[in-house]
Amino acid sequence: MRDTSAFTSNIIENSLQAVAAEMFDAMRLTAMSPIIYEVLDLGTGILNAKGEMASSGAGIPVLVGVVDKAVRRLVEIYDKPGDIEPGDVFITNDPAYGGVTHLNDIVIAMPVFADGTLVAWTANSAHWNDVGGMVVGSMAINATEIYQEGLRLPAVKLVSRGQVLRSVVDIIKANSRMPDFAEGDMWAGVAAVRSGEKRLSELIRKYGREAFEHALDQSMNHAEDVSLRALKRLPKGRFEFEEPQDDGSVYRVAIEVRDDEMIVDLRDNPDSANGPGNICRDATEIAAQMVFKSITDSASPANGGTFRPLTILTRPGTIFDAQSPAAVGFYFERLVRVHDLVLRCIARHCPELVCAGTFSSNCVTFIGGTRPSDGHAFTLVEPELGGWGATHEHDGNHAVFSPIHGDTFNCPVEIAETRYGVYVDKLTLNPEPGGEGTFRGGRGVVLEYRVREDGASMTCGFSRSVIPPWGLEGGRDGTPNRVELVRGDGTTTRHAFESDIRMHKDDVARIITGNGAGYGDPRQRDREAILRDLRDDLLTPERAASVYGIQV
Amino acid sequence: MKQRTRVCTDVGGTFTDLVYFETDAGGQQTVRTAKADTTPPNYEEGILEVLRRGAVDIENIGFFAHGTTVVINSLTERRGAKTGLITTEGFRDVIEIARGARPDFYNLKFRKPAPFVPRYLRKELPERVDARGEVLKEPDLTNLPAILDVFKAEGVEAIAVSFLHAYANPLHEQQVVDAISSLWPEVSVVGSHQITREWREYERTNTAVMSAFVQPVAARYLSRLEQKLRSQDYSGPIYVMQSNCGVDTLAHAKETPITMVESGPASGMWGAAALGQLVGESNVIALDIGGTTAKCSLIEDGKVQIKTDYYIERDRTSPGYPIMVPVVDLVEIGNGGGSIAWVDEFERLHVGPQSAGASPGPAAYGRGGRKATTTDANLMLGRINPQYFCGGTMEADMRAVEAALQELTQQLDLPAVEIAKGIIQIADSNMVNALKLVSINRGFDPRDFTLIAFGGGGGMHAVSLAQELGVKKVIIPKAAGVFSAWGMMMSDLRRDQFLTKLLMLKDADAVVQAQTLLNELVDKSRTEYISEGIRETDIRIVSSIKLRYQNQEHAVEVELQDGELLTDSANVIGERFHEQYERQYTYRLDAPIELVGFHVVAFARVGTLEILREECTASDASSAQKGTRNVNYAASGIHRAHIYDSTKLKPGMSFNGPAIIEDPGTTIVVFPANTVSVDGYGNICITDLQLGDSHA
Repeated sequence: MRDTSAFTSNIIENSLQAVAAEMFDAMRLTAMSPIIYEVLDLGTGILNAKGEMASSGAGIPVLVGVVDKAVRRLVEIYDKPGDIEPGDVFITNDPAYGGVTHLNDIVIAMPVFADGTLVAWTANSAHWNDVGGMVVGSMAINATEIYQEGLRLPAVKLVSRGQVLRSVVDIIKANSRMPDFAEGDMWAGVAAVRSGEKRLSELIRKYGREAFEHALDQSMNHAEDVSLRALKRLPKGRFEFEEPQDDGSVYRVAIEVRDDEMIVDLRDNPDSANGPGNICRDATEIAAQMVFKSITDSASPANGGTFRPLTILTRPGTIFDAQSPAAVGFYFERLVRVHDLVLRCIARHCPELVCAGTFSSNCVTFIGGTRPSDGHAFTLVEPELGGWGATHEHDGNHAVFSPIHGDTFNCPVEIAETRYGVYVDKLTLNPEPGGEGTFRGGRGVVLEYRVREDGASMTCGFSRSVIPPWGLEGGRDGTPNRVELVRGDGTTTRHAFESDIRMHKDDVARIITGNGAGYGDPRQRDREAILRDLRDDLLTPERAASVYGIQV
Repeated sequence: MKQRTRVCTDVGGTFTDLVYFETDAGGQQTVRTAKADTTPPNYEEGILEVLRRGAVDIENIGFFAHGTTVVINSLTERRGAKTGLITTEGFRDVIEIARGARPDFYNLKFRKPAPFVPRYLRKELPERVDARGEVLKEPDLTNLPAILDVFKAEGVEAIAVSFLHAYANPLHEQQVVDAISSLWPEVSVVGSHQITREWREYERTNTAVMSAFVQPVAARYLSRLEQKLRSQDYSGPIYVMQSNCGVDTLAHAKETPITMVESGPASGMWGAAALGQLVGESNVIALDIGGTTAKCSLIEDGKVQIKTDYYIERDRTSPGYPIMVPVVDLVEIGNGGGSIAWVDEFERLHVGPQSAGASPGPAAYGRGGRKATTTDANLMLGRINPQYFCGGTMEADMRAVEAALQELTQQLDLPAVEIAKGIIQIADSNMVNALKLVSINRGFDPRDFTLIAFGGGGGMHAVSLAQELGVKKVIIPKAAGVFSAWGMMMSDLRRDQFLTKLLMLKDADAVVQAQTLLNELVDKSRTEYISEGIRETDIRIVSSIKLRYQNQEHAVEVELQDGELLTDSANVIGERFHEQYERQYTYRLDAPIELVGFHVVAFARVGTLEILREECTASDASSAQKGTRNVNYAASGIHRAHIYDSTKLKPGMSFNGPAIIEDPGTTIVVFPANTVSVDGYGNICITDLQLGDSHA
């Protein structure tokens, strides 16, 4: 009776996308850690039997790339017949076991079987509040080994044939400062993969295993075609680039673009450091994948097929391929650096596909102290917004999250003042000059947190605080990120990457995020646009004269 | 006589609809419907025209309700007042900074939506209130005259005032709004607290700005409408449909017209809820398929969900613009009867979101549309009758349909029929996913719901979608084609107030404070209605409180029972919270409960409309049958279907699928094994749905 048409695969692919989104919604709804449901530090995916991603849902693009690497590792580890059975659920968080980012990001994965054969996986990755370690929240700025960062879950079974392994749950709970949250987030993850598994089984029942597997293959093959077609339009050759960093070290990359392949070579880089800012190879791969997707076809969904033409080369033991037991708690700032490095290298060769340099940092700000309203301790943890670079057609965006963030939201002033012991005295666009061009960069922000009680402290993780966002095609560089600490007596100190700076009542942490860089020669800027910037107080007449050559 | 005549007009993108309802002295009820073209920018002309076409005796109307797209059009076409903004010192860029989200996350050329007020028209005044509403700095209005001079010189016509924490203490905003009104009486001015008392400064400021932007345009329009009706001797009340599924008085709507932003969709969803009540179905999934989009909403226990997290122009590539007003919770996708089918560079078929609109429309209109649409595919598959196209008002141009499909057959190397099937399957799969968003993804089981489908395309897809979802029953309302206007006729006055207020429920003083605040809100609603001449006995107030676990963000709205006091029943209410929270979020915590706000809904009856149920005397439907034809049900094969004329169907008639019901406003596709029955109100009910038997 049923008549499968030429479009059945399209429809199954459509459904896969819906199931990935459904798992995302389910987790957002049931997770207990606010960072999961508010910041959407969460990703879900549907993968084939080998762990290639067929479809994904995410709030942050980084986490799209996590679950496939985790499942690939699972399949590698559990390689004997009977190792993986229907009803099993696996859990991992360690970069050496497919965990990719840091120990707080927990991956949960479930196999999907049809007629006794493994045909697919459903999986998710989410940031848990606390997994033990040296400090509350598990991310310690002074950690030197992963052992200090909390519980390592080396790709273990959490549920066996539908039966929860109580011992594993007990270990997880015993290792968290917030055991109820850990268990709640765990169940949210398990419920999501189970609902995904159920939906995929329904699809398999409806359309048959063959049509289902064909649709998985087709969706990845299609994404590969999209990438290959876009690769053909890119300039070919070997492009090398090196960039000095804020701390004086130099990062290097070589990118080779061929007709059907792109190779990103990051082997020639310094050895990994002691601190918690390391990233493993898988994380480096994600950063390169994001750049690749952006310059090939940014609009279509990404899956395993998208990245088949991409090869990443790293050298074990270097900053982009840290080996266990390197600490990784603060992996995200290195991730944004390697993303920007790769982007900057290729940008000069396909400038019309990208934007000029962005503020390119998470600018994570931590302020801890006591809340005057009830005497409770508070910890404010916020990534900050900054300026984006201009493109060949438009001025850059003002005040957006970094390129490694996505559909996430900043904390409103009204909520911050309620929740934390701070006043926000100011939130405006960054007025300082920079980033001019035919199209100018977008503005960063100036955000002032004033602490209301003595005994507070601040930690900041800002890079691009010395080397500014890079101009493109003759556009001016943008401006650097930093924190100015303004004391009650008016003295001001400048900070970027520091921990535990003491703050007293009425001290102000002035967050200044960079203005994005410009695109094209400023002298070519449209006169109307210059007048508009003058009118909007984003440009002074002196600067208009000196940079744009216009007298007003 | 007057009380017995109700008229509702709904101005849509293309057509202005009329529903006229009269109960004569003998209790006999008459319903008439009519359509006229929408006439922008003088929408009132289209309304008068549709009243003429409906032969409405304006003088004798007892109730006139009106829905309009004037607000949403003003926003999306950026045709509104030149607007200035005044904020707390240090925060004029909040509407430009927004929330920093970038949904199109691989796109490095992403463009953030531009604010409705450019930077040079955003001014600041020194003042400050803290999160508890306490004054930290008195407002300093020294610079206000200079700011207004700038605004005057720049041609500003409307001003929004938005200060930090004005939801907690609106005094400073009020002072500035009053000062502006006395310094410059002609200008239109609004304070953010007049629209919303909820926190989040970006959303509230943007709401105030958008409200200021549409205010003069919408108020002028409503005044013109009122004048025209009065000049034709209409003396009764004029009600305006709101986005919260209720109507409001014209005078009140003129003050904050932004609340009309989704009035058309809201009245359709309310129509589904009201119809559900009428026929005893309190759990409803409402589906409205129009020419360009499909919208759906979930109604549980007869209640529509009203939320304040509404956005315009938000999609997978843009964060859009938030408007914090009470709007019915719905999901909208770009799939309707006019959605265009197209093939991408990888030879994959897509349907929508581009639409052929009303002009040129689907290829079948024969008005030069060269691209195949969902409607064209339905014609090709024999589901729509080319001889009874658009209710027989035009003959479908089947050569144009074939030519349009031919284009796609060449690109895909497949026969036209296969392409047509593919279009229907893909459109259905898009719509099923939207329906899952409002049901399964929010923790509801579609098996517990009845699907009420309306709009021109509702009947075409309803059964297939219901069978895919596992819904047990489908209802296609008698007034499916003008359902928004019908929903308006069933509405009461409704005003929603939301107020953010943080209080711990375990603290006895805080509970007393909460009760006092709640009493104030309730009294305010009641007094306002009474001052407008509404009888106390016609007023009904429903209060809910928003609760959450301390330091969590997920909040749950817990409805208070009639007369229930927080001061007496904090524990019972707390227990209800735990239960509701667990149902929604799957777990409960042993943590203190925090109150985060209030939601007070004030209803006022505006005359009860009792629709009579006819006796279901008929049974044999053969008199309504007009023939048979082969109908292609896509994945469910080709079947010889009986064709029925809906205008000849009578209450009590019943028959089985496969069948097609042809109605002047819609076509209903009935699958094999379905049972169709006509209820006492003339609605078409389809049961014996077969799980999984669908187009795809």
